[in-house]
Parts: sequence; C-alpha cells; structure tokens
Amino acid sequence: MTEMFSTLFGQNETQVPPGSSSLGFGPGKPPPPLPQNQVAMPGQMPPQLGDEGPALRKPGAMNEPFYLLRELPVGNELTGNTNLITHYNLEHAYNKFCGKKVKEKLSNFLPELPGMIDCPGTQDGSSLRSLIDKPPVCGNSFSPLTGALLTGFRLHTGPLPEQYRLMHIQPPKKKSKHKHKHHRPQDPLPQETPSDSDPKKKKKKRDDDPDRKKKKKDKKKKKNRHSPDHPGLAGSQPNSNSLR
Amino acid sequence: MAEKFDNLEEHLEKFIENIRQLGIIVSDFQPSSQAGLNQKLNFMISGLQDIEKCRQQLHEINVPLEVFEYIDQGRNPQLYTKECLERALARNEQVKGKIDTMTKFKSLLISELSKVFPEEMAKYKAIHGEDAPS
Repeated sequence: MTEMFSTLFGQNETQVPPGSSSLGFGPGKPPPPLPQNQVAMPGQMPPQLGDEGPALRKPGAMNEPFYLLRELPVGNELTGNTNLITHYNLEHAYNKFCGKKVKEKLSNFLPELPGMIDCPGTQDGSSLRSLIDKPPVCGNSFSPLTGALLTGFRLHTGPLPEQYRLMHIQPPKKKSKHKHKHHRPQDPLPQETPSDSDPKKKKKKRDDDPDRKKKKKDKKKKKNRHSPDHPGLAGSQPNSNSLR
Repeated sequence: MAEKFDNLEEHLEKFIENIRQLGIIVSDFQPSSQAGLNQKLNFMISGLQDIEKCRQQLHEINVPLEVFEYIDQGRNPQLYTKECLERALARNEQVKGKIDTMTKFKSLLISELSKVFPEEMAKYKAIHGEDAPS
C-alpha cells in the first residue's frame, strides 16, 4: 500500500504522517497481501484481455497529471462508418429487391406451382412449421411398388366425392403479356369460388347492356322529336328543351 | 452452387407435375387409367429417390426460420430478403450517425478543453500523439 501511494504522489514525500501508523502505513511494514478478487496495481497489472478493457499506462507515465489514463482501443477497419452493402458487394441484390416492387403473394414467386398456394399453410396442414415441430420419418429407403403392392391402388370408377374435389381447384390465371407455351393436360373445371369475379362482372355487363341500349334509344327518340330538323313537331312545341 | 439448386428445382418441378397428373387421373378414374396410375405412382417413388440424392449436396445450406413464416402465410419469401437488406441499411445509417456524432463531440470537447486547460491538454495530446486516434 505504501508503494502505491508513493508512486502516485511522487518520490519526495517520504515523511510519514504521525497518525498513519495506526492505519498500517508505517515505514518498514510490508504491504498487506491483496485479496485475489481485488484489482491489482497499475504498474504490476498483467496485460488485460480485450473484453476487460485496454491496458493501463506504464509506470513511467503515471507521473503525468492524468489518473488511470487508458490506451485507446485499436480501431477496427470495418465499422458502421462504411457502407456495408457496397463492402460486401450486395448492391446488385439491393437494387433487385429494394429498387423494384416485390410482389406480395407466394404465387408470384412460384408461378408454375399448381393449386392454391397463397392460402396460409395452417388451413390445410401444409405449413413448413409443422415439419419442424413434427419432423417426418426419415432414413427409410424408397423402393418401387411391385405388382402385389400395386393391387392396393385399384380405384373405383367415376368422379371423386365432392368433399375431396377441393384439391384440384386452381386459382384464376391472370392473362400475362408474355404468353408461355406450356403444354399441360387439361385440368378439371374449377368450381366457382368467391375470388372468381370475372364471370360475374361479365354477367353484369350483359345485363346492363340491353338496359343501356334501351335508354340510349329513348334519349335519341326524345332528342329527335324536339330537334328543329324534325318535321312533325317543329312548329307546335317551341323551345320545349329550355323548360327541362 | 447454383447448379445444385437448379438440379433440385428441376426434380421438384417434375415431382409436382407428376403429382398433379396423378390427381387428375384420380379425380375421374376409369378402368383404362389403371396402368397410367401405376406408372405415375412409380414415377413418384423415383422422384423421391432423386430428391433424396440431391439432399447430400445441400446439407450445408442454412435457411432462416423467418422465411418459413413468410411461406406459411402465403407471402413471397423475397420480401424477407428485401426487409433484411432494408433493416441492414437502416441500422448501418444509424450507427454511422452515432459515429459521426461522437467524432464531432470528441473534437468539440478537445477544442473546448484546450481553451480551459491548455497545459493539460497539451500533455494529453503529447501522450496520445504516440497512438493517435483516427
């Protein structure tokens, strides 16, 4: 303890104050042993690890007016100051995903996949999460089915019951500009779904068209009656349009 | 690397197409379709064998679990990549802002301390002149 104070306050202070002997600072007494969990003296401190903080100054620097002056940490070359996207050559990926608008639905990512894939997987038990929670049995080898095993796959003729037909419903295909010539066997006709609004719209237009035509005809007839070019009513009803 | 994915993708597409055709046969089954059905079933097993072979090439590939949530919700998984990049950039900008602010603060503090404590700051600069900060 005496060595620590002498180095802090200089070598000239050799006179011990009178009351210090009661505190254990008297000359000739060896310094009390430090407990192991206590921090060691700066001059005697071994080199520290990086996570415990940078090393303290050497004893020669302790004469300076600064107390416990630590060395600055070694600066990393890669910090948040640099653009990490350009550093890791991700500009192309950034422009691809963030520059353009990414479509929301899964069917836009997998356009060739059949079935209703935009529905949540929890509805029909096809979620990927269920694969993690309940992993399937793996490790068995796949062997082709023999004649005896194939007898189990003899089916009854005729269409499927209605409760099983939902698996073949296809979402309405949007007309794309680039027509892909993709030959596929014809799918069974899908049942009407709430999302299938195109035929309803067409029906509405068909219903409206005859009504619209009638209305247009009526308007034309009325205009022709009251026009000055019409021979029948030109003199009898003057300026009937202005009253309307 | 891309070849492994292309190979797997090709096998998966063939498998899915086979399953789809199997579903069409089953939806309105006729006795003459039995041979075709048997063939499709064996194609399905051979497809699974091909996919199993692809597995060995891709055992080092790691997929983040958050992508699974996007797929389960019927969302495009590219949105996850997009959001990761946007978050990374936002965080990068945030940290850069902090670094810039701290740098300005340090220079301002040193200049003000030099005005108030010129001698001490001169000694400080002399000490830190050996390992000068960037």
